[in-house]
Amino acid sequence: MQWGVEPLMLQLSEVKQSQARFVERKYLKVLNAPLELSGTLIYTRPGRLEKRTLKPKPETLTVVDDILTLENPARNERRVLKLQDYPVLWGFVESIRGTLGGDIKALERFYRVELEGGPAKWQLYLAPRDRKMNEVISLIRIDGSKARIDTIEVQEAHGDRSVMKIYEDRP
Amino acid sequence: MTSPARMRIGLWLGFLLACAIIVARSQYGADLAAFLPSSPSPTQRFLVDELREGVVSRLILIGIEGREQDRLAAVSRSLAARLEKNERFIYVADGAQDGLRADGEFLLRNRYLLSPAVTAERFTASGIRRGLEQQLDLLSSPTSMLVGNLLPHDPTGEMLQLIDRFQGQGGPDKRDGIWFSADGTRALLVAQTRAAGFDIDAQEQALAQIRAAFDAAVPEQHAEGARLLVTGPGVFAVESRAGIKRDAMRFSLLGTLLVSAILLFVYRSLRVLALTLVPVASGALAGIAAVSLAFGSVHGVTLGFGATLIGEAVDYAIYLFTNTAPGSTPKTTLQRIWPTLRLGMLTSVFGFGAMLVSGFPGLSQLGLFSIAGLVVAVLVTRWVLPELVPEGYHVRTAAGLGPSLMRLLAHAPRLRLPLLVLVIAVVAWLATRGSTVWDDELSSLSPVPVQIQRLDQQMRADLGAPDVGPVIVVRGDSEQSVLETAEQVGATLAVLQTEGVLAGFDSPAFYLPSIGAQRARQQAIPDAATLTRNLAAAADGLPFRAGTFAPFVEDAQAAKRQVPLTSQDLVGTGLGLKLQALLAQRQGGWFAMLPLRKVSDMHLLEAGLSKHDRSQVVLLDMKRELDELYHGYRLRALGFALLGVVAIVVLLMVTLRSARRTWDVVAPLAAAVLVTAGILVATGARLNIFHLVALLLVVGVGSNYTLFFERGSPGAADPQRTATSVLFCNLSTVVGFGVLGFAATPVLGAIGTTVAIGAFLSLVFAVILTARSPPPG
Repeated sequence: MQWGVEPLMLQLSEVKQSQARFVERKYLKVLNAPLELSGTLIYTRPGRLEKRTLKPKPETLTVVDDILTLENPARNERRVLKLQDYPVLWGFVESIRGTLGGDIKALERFYRVELEGGPAKWQLYLAPRDRKMNEVISLIRIDGSKARIDTIEVQEAHGDRSVMKIYEDRP
Repeated sequence: MTSPARMRIGLWLGFLLACAIIVARSQYGADLAAFLPSSPSPTQRFLVDELREGVVSRLILIGIEGREQDRLAAVSRSLAARLEKNERFIYVADGAQDGLRADGEFLLRNRYLLSPAVTAERFTASGIRRGLEQQLDLLSSPTSMLVGNLLPHDPTGEMLQLIDRFQGQGGPDKRDGIWFSADGTRALLVAQTRAAGFDIDAQEQALAQIRAAFDAAVPEQHAEGARLLVTGPGVFAVESRAGIKRDAMRFSLLGTLLVSAILLFVYRSLRVLALTLVPVASGALAGIAAVSLAFGSVHGVTLGFGATLIGEAVDYAIYLFTNTAPGSTPKTTLQRIWPTLRLGMLTSVFGFGAMLVSGFPGLSQLGLFSIAGLVVAVLVTRWVLPELVPEGYHVRTAAGLGPSLMRLLAHAPRLRLPLLVLVIAVVAWLATRGSTVWDDELSSLSPVPVQIQRLDQQMRADLGAPDVGPVIVVRGDSEQSVLETAEQVGATLAVLQTEGVLAGFDSPAFYLPSIGAQRARQQAIPDAATLTRNLAAAADGLPFRAGTFAPFVEDAQAAKRQVPLTSQDLVGTGLGLKLQALLAQRQGGWFAMLPLRKVSDMHLLEAGLSKHDRSQVVLLDMKRELDELYHGYRLRALGFALLGVVAIVVLLMVTLRSARRTWDVVAPLAAAVLVTAGILVATGARLNIFHLVALLLVVGVGSNYTLFFERGSPGAADPQRTATSVLFCNLSTVVGFGVLGFAATPVLGAIGTTVAIGAFLSLVFAVILTARSPPPG
């Protein structure tokens, strides 16, 4: 079979669970210097994604199917959102969860998907289909190697940008 | 025919014509408000108006089911688009519209007037600093992209405040961006009609538009087989009117056919059969006309009750015909039985007379209808019917029937002791059941079949439509004064909320703060120079780029100069709809409603509210209040029914001039009513107002039997004929009402069952208690 989006997705979908550390840099217009966040990212097939930020302040985002929970122990806050009510957020969550799960349907629902590179080193470009989402996010680029994701870069419509590097723990 | 007879018939026909004209022009209604007191307190008045024309009364809940999810969603979208263009609806929502997004612009522009967090402290260096630190936190949060662009405009986070407040209430499940039931099998929409809920004609047209739009949407979306479900107060009103009409028609027709078959067998004359119905028809026509004249409109329930008049009025003609022995004429028969007939009629009139003066429009209508109907029916029997009977007509009773009846009667008195025991047992049993024998839920009055009520509850739960729960009602002379009071009450509630007394509340002042509150917020904003200075001090040491917050200073200054918002400014926004639901001008001034969520302690709540002027601020538990209203109503109806019984006893005492004879008439009726109530309760029914009215009718119908059986009755010249005549009357009543007992409309079903059982027992008990021993030899 010729290499392309589908074989990549198939390969990704064989990963049952993955756990990784991440370091995320946010380059924001309103700030003098980038914000740096770090923590862990845990994905469990088919629908569970957990992003546990440890620095600079602990905050946990958990998505189970279409329920998103944000927990901020410092502020003693817990918010539960239905992704259906927040299409932009939903699309963003799906870009990570859909890629980790190799769920091409979920990705194509929100994005036009393009792939560059080869099996050893690939780049997935996700361009939002929805106009409203496009007003917030202009492009997501996911870099990976084999069945692993290395970097997620989000280009926001108004010039802000974030780059998340992912370092997978070897079990 | 003699000339006075001709005149009588002419008069009668003229009267019928006049009645028919009035009936044809009558308005018909079905709102439950008719069953609430006519001289209510301002709060009750508000409740009743809310039920009749409030936003809740205008809501139609729509469900679409029976196909795959994507087809249902497509039909739902198409239906919403069609109805949105329709004049009859103020709005239609299927979940696709994001209310906040639509309002986003509006909220952003007016955030400093709307946000309750705007105080002078908020704009000091330390206040802004706190805001900035929070914003920094949010920027590092995974949801930062949602806040991103707002930050330069809104470093104190007023938009987040507003969004939290307005969106914190959750919502129905969504599939494909459309509201769905939790199990995903039913797409859901909500429509609000322009017409008030009590305007049944307008509601009926709105419903027709929904059906038409659905019928057009289904083929367009290739969703053949999808089903449409609609519920809501307006739908109930329309359906119950249609249901009563249909049931009353179908079952009275069936009843009439069966009774006619029996009577035809007895009379063996189609003409006489037709004549039997003359008093009934005249009475029903007169009853509706009288109610229409006196009340301006006729309640659907009254109309349904019309069917029941047959029960008593038909008896008049049967007594007349069956008592006419060979060789005599109806006129001579009438001279003989007239005093008994008249007394029977008066007994019923006295019974229903109490209802007439009860002060509840619904009950008064029933009372007036029955009285007018019975009086006209008996007058027609007395003065018109004899002129129309064929010359020399008399009823041939089956030869063996009279004597065998008499043999039965002779044995009947042996059952007196068992009957006494039965009645005592029933009374004792009912006494142990106490007040549980009564159904004190207002919904029991609803003419809507139970399964439709259940569907409504389910769709309401799925939509998360607000429960009818506790609500604070604020009354005042002007829009501004109720908004100000609502703000004061809101402050009290906010404190109670932090103490855990309630989980939350809604208030019209959230959507439209009083002018005073808006001005105070404007004054809290410092001038541009001060604000810039405070901002610079606040941002010192934080990583924000210089000049980032210039838009904030500009926006704040614009807000300071802005003209305060009025309800006009909210028209067309989601906030406006919310406001409309919570703020209303009615008779008696302006009303604001503050619905409360999950009150854990009513007493603490009451105590907390005690500092407000209780003539303006009232805590209402809508469902409890309505049920209490109805409970009071039922008690009063019971009271008036008992008063009617007393009036009947007095009437009989005065007319019969004998306690013994009065006892003979009353005792079987009392026993019948008690045992009937016992049977109803034992078979699982909980008694409501309709059972009560039906029991009164039992007294009315039954009194004729006992009067004819009673020893001194002048109608009893020929005991065999009397016995046969009463038997036929009873048979026709039991059959007619027994059929009605199968009606799906609760009113008709309750009346049918009760009267059928009660009438039968009245006869049996009359025989047991008052039948004479056969003459010796």
